[in-house]
Amino acid sequence: MKNSSRNIWEQPWGYTEGFILTAGILLTGFFLQLAVGNIEISLFAAPVNYITGALFITGIILLHLLSGKSRVTRWLSGIYAAIPAVSALLLLCIILGLLPQLPKEIAGNELPPGIFKPLGWYQMTTSWPFILLCFYLLMILGLAILKRTRRKQSLRDIGFYLNHIGLFVALLGGILGSADMERLIMSVNEGQVEWRATDRQGTIKELTIAIQLDSFIIEEYEPKLVIIDNETGIVLPLSRPESYMFEGAGKTALLAGATIEIIEYLPHAAIFRDSAFLNVVPMMMEGAAIAMKIRVDKAGLPCPVEGWVSNGSYLFPPNQLQIDEHTSVAMPLQEVKKYRSHVTVYTEAGHTQKIVIEVNKPLSIGDWTIYQYSYDDSKGKYSDTPIFELVRDPWLKVVYSGIFMLIAGAIFIFIAGPEKSIL
Amino acid sequence: MTWSSFIYFAFGAVLLWSFGAILAYKNRNKAMPSMFTAAGLMLFFIFISGLWISLERPPLRTMGETRLWYSFFLPVAGLLTYLRWNYRWILSFTTLLSSVFIIINIASPDIHNKVLMPALQSPWFAPHVIIYMFSYAIVGAATLVAIYYLARENKIVCKAHIMNMTDNMVYAGVACITLGMLMGAIWAKDAWGHYWSWDPKETWAAATWLGYLIYIHYRLKRNSSNRISMIILVVAFILLQICWYGLNYLPPAKQSIHTYSSQ
Repeated sequence: MKNSSRNIWEQPWGYTEGFILTAGILLTGFFLQLAVGNIEISLFAAPVNYITGALFITGIILLHLLSGKSRVTRWLSGIYAAIPAVSALLLLCIILGLLPQLPKEIAGNELPPGIFKPLGWYQMTTSWPFILLCFYLLMILGLAILKRTRRKQSLRDIGFYLNHIGLFVALLGGILGSADMERLIMSVNEGQVEWRATDRQGTIKELTIAIQLDSFIIEEYEPKLVIIDNETGIVLPLSRPESYMFEGAGKTALLAGATIEIIEYLPHAAIFRDSAFLNVVPMMMEGAAIAMKIRVDKAGLPCPVEGWVSNGSYLFPPNQLQIDEHTSVAMPLQEVKKYRSHVTVYTEAGHTQKIVIEVNKPLSIGDWTIYQYSYDDSKGKYSDTPIFELVRDPWLKVVYSGIFMLIAGAIFIFIAGPEKSIL
Repeated sequence: MTWSSFIYFAFGAVLLWSFGAILAYKNRNKAMPSMFTAAGLMLFFIFISGLWISLERPPLRTMGETRLWYSFFLPVAGLLTYLRWNYRWILSFTTLLSSVFIIINIASPDIHNKVLMPALQSPWFAPHVIIYMFSYAIVGAATLVAIYYLARENKIVCKAHIMNMTDNMVYAGVACITLGMLMGAIWAKDAWGHYWSWDPKETWAAATWLGYLIYIHYRLKRNSSNRISMIILVVAFILLQICWYGLNYLPPAKQSIHTYSSQ
């Protein structure tokens, strides 16, 4: 703790000065925020971010070389300055985690009114106090790394350098790189070729690669049966909703007090219905629905109820089987297991590549990484229109080198443990 | 193996862990307490493996499933601490905390089914969650020590000994938290297109991480107060709880893409 015989700003500085300086940074950010609003990240697109980064690093090195031995710089590279800065960042993170964050495309006048709006808290990561604090923390981090190089080096320093340089590189690369990152959305129909994509503002961009969709396949989990309340449609029992996943025809399931026997299973069915009758027949065509013929028995029923249930498709409406006046058996929409696009990618250089793009398995080609983002689900499992996201992040290598240093540093710490000298 | 048999395995495991914890107080020899604790862990792990096989996916998707791993890793962290630093009371602490999470899982069981969303079908899924649960268990054990310290500060004779213990635990815990977070970042790049999106889960993970960084750096100063150090540990653990499940009750939860429990 601070030496009590010393006044504030009297050397040697301690935590008090650290908290005051951090508060000053936040206050500066606060006034800038009030004056000009959130930082427009696109202003920092290359080459501005390269210049900013180079100036920032040069500045830190100069500060270290010219006044590295002064008391203020030494204090600034130490724990007394670092902990207040990290605490302030923690505070901003807590606010960030408590308030809903709105996309940066939303203009100021669309934000919810109130005190948080002028503070920039709905778009915290582009607000002045947040960015200034990040750079202040980076400065402390940079100075701490440089100060350490003047010490006698030991094996333990490897952990220090990996963690601190790793964090410095990942953080600075992430902040500066965010201005150069591009994220576009593209949807392609089966059999078609597409080379235009739209950004978040809806502007269409032409790319130097083209994607041809050869086929799009959706796999679903087995259908489920549930018992619902006729009035509300809520799955029963209310306290803990139950469901039964289909395992084969002939099986019996116990669901919310009713016994359900699956008599017949049609994976591809056509369902015809009018006010009086229901006809379910096999149909091997696109648009077919899954249908199950079931027999339901339950205490209090005069005799078992028998009939078809289906979750329908874009061609056929879903069908439920009423058990009594309060409950029915229903088949909810199936959960999606996998979806993937078989594509052919063409580049401007004349390079052609056939490949499968899947969730968690993006395709990297040139500067772009292509992700299976989602699909147009208006036709359910028969959808033939996947949606891709195309991401370009020129700074990714910088950030990843920082991340890998941090990973190595974490492993080092796990093995080496804390420094014993503090005892 | 289905969820309905959990209660038997859990009861058997808690019984074995309790024997281990009691024996740790009575025996100078570490063999018997360790064997009982290890036997309990083995029994518990048989259940986890059985559940894994019957669900045909890693049981790590729902909150209840993460609690299951947490209940498993707490005695692991306790046993490691006991073997490494010979604190005889740690096993009873971890058994107690583990039982709390087992009771929550028995009292309000999750809905378990085979469904695994496409975003979770990745080789990163199991290591990301398991290493996080392991780190939560270690820092959980450290938090128990911190509360113990704060409650009986005046009666503790060898304070440096206790501080040394929490330091050791926090360093191991933070190393694993860092690894879990960075694996998550690399996975997020593959699954969602960006390594860090300030999703509420990520924001609170960052807050938790910063909390432990403050502890580590604060402790590096010779003149640091033990009491403040321990308070930082408790606060950091509260942040961790918000990150784990508390954020589901906060306004930004609706935006989170980290939600997999819902039907």
